[in-house]
Amino acid sequence: MSERYDVIVVGGGPAGLSTAYFLADHGYNTIVLERGSEPGSKNVFGGRIYTYPLDKYFPDWRKDAPIERWVRREALSILCEDNIVNLEYEIDRKPNGYDSFTAFLSRFLKWLALKVEEKNVVVATNVRVDEILFRDNIAYGVRIGDDKLEAEYIVIAEGANTLLSERHGLRRKISPRDIAVGIKEVIRLGREKINERFCLGDEEGLAQFLIGSRFGGGFIYTMKEYVSIGVIYRPLLNNQIEAKDVIEELKIHPHLSKLLRDGVPVEYSAHIVREAGYSDLMHKPYGRGYIVVGDAAGLILNTGFTVRGVDLAIESGRLAAEAIHKTPPGEEPAVYMKLLREKEIIKTLKKFRKVSKILSNERIYTKYPEYICQILDKIYTVDELPETLNESFKKAVGGKTSIIRLIFELLTMVRSL
Amino acid sequence: MKKMKVEERLTLTKFEVYGEPHIILRREKCKGCDFKICISSCPAGLFTLDETGEIKFTYEGCLECGTCRIVCPENAIEWNYPLGGFGVQYMFG
Repeated sequence: MSERYDVIVVGGGPAGLSTAYFLADHGYNTIVLERGSEPGSKNVFGGRIYTYPLDKYFPDWRKDAPIERWVRREALSILCEDNIVNLEYEIDRKPNGYDSFTAFLSRFLKWLALKVEEKNVVVATNVRVDEILFRDNIAYGVRIGDDKLEAEYIVIAEGANTLLSERHGLRRKISPRDIAVGIKEVIRLGREKINERFCLGDEEGLAQFLIGSRFGGGFIYTMKEYVSIGVIYRPLLNNQIEAKDVIEELKIHPHLSKLLRDGVPVEYSAHIVREAGYSDLMHKPYGRGYIVVGDAAGLILNTGFTVRGVDLAIESGRLAAEAIHKTPPGEEPAVYMKLLREKEIIKTLKKFRKVSKILSNERIYTKYPEYICQILDKIYTVDELPETLNESFKKAVGGKTSIIRLIFELLTMVRSL
Repeated sequence: MKKMKVEERLTLTKFEVYGEPHIILRREKCKGCDFKICISSCPAGLFTLDETGEIKFTYEGCLECGTCRIVCPENAIEWNYPLGGFGVQYMFG
């Protein structure tokens, strides 16, 4: 690796590869350094990618991108002890009209790496960057074991686990309160069973958010032949169940065990998710000679109903490339922050800044699901003494919390979402 | 579906194990810790208590999720990524 590059990108995830892709358009000689043996071999996500940045910047991406299924059904479900409460939204659009698709991140990144390599960017795998080299507070290269590689710019795209940034004092270690652990299992079920059991056409997918008192938050995404199921485990809240057991806890729920019957688990994965939203955004995701993109910069958005990571990573990569291009040599790429603001990324994060507080409130996983299940159970249980809604509500909630507190909490939640 | 133990579930995932651990536990720092949240929050269940009540840790099934380093209140976990090409190999992700 003796060749001199204009830009070194540390990390071949969605943000790093995108930055390299857009830098190539501006004529920069770029190398991506990825520690995995292949692009994507270290990456984990839930299962969905939004199409808008791909439509804008990747011509003909639909022809060869590893799309599993178009998300036609969105569901929000509360899992009670044995029962389930569903809120579903079914989208009927023309083919190519859907906003998002389900995917496997490892496969998607292999595809993205090919698109980047088509622009003559080098994607080097099996390379772990140990240090970013600074001289007089200017980043000028990276250290890989005993090797050094120098460049005009270092793009830090190291993902949610910000080891390098912390090592160099660019970021502090995140609080345990502000992370969740995404814990996922991929289960092979076969196309026909998936279509039948989830009421889907061949190309149609389901994205389902789960809330349950036993495991916290979770998700289901249907792929062509597989189903991805996962739990968003919060170490400080969920500690009555150990993280290693939550997937089983989810799978034994009567509703899920029926859906997944005869399924064969094929992969178990986990990764931290930064959950603090706006307050976790780096104040200054750049400095002389470097720029920080994607999850590493705090660019991930959980709206409470949808999680957006890959699309923000692509956008931040594009803006980082533009910022590098617009910054005269020797100066800080401060225009990056301006671009993030103009593109409303920061405004969006700010708008949803209260969501993280709600998501870390234990009661939304414990009390509320219980109340809702009990109320519905009472409403739909028919015997000689039917109850009015008001009676059911009082019976479910009464004694455990004051109605005023409940209403207050619900109002606070609704106002923040 | 049959209930699966975490040890069994980890065999689904592909690993390229390196000869030296990428995570080092400073056990002397664990002595004063009553919290031991590393045990409950590791999705691979790699932290366990031995007969003497001390924490044991194995790195071979590490999913590289990053949780233990962040939740440890004693900063007892020296966390690094495995050398390039080694460690967990996600096929789906």
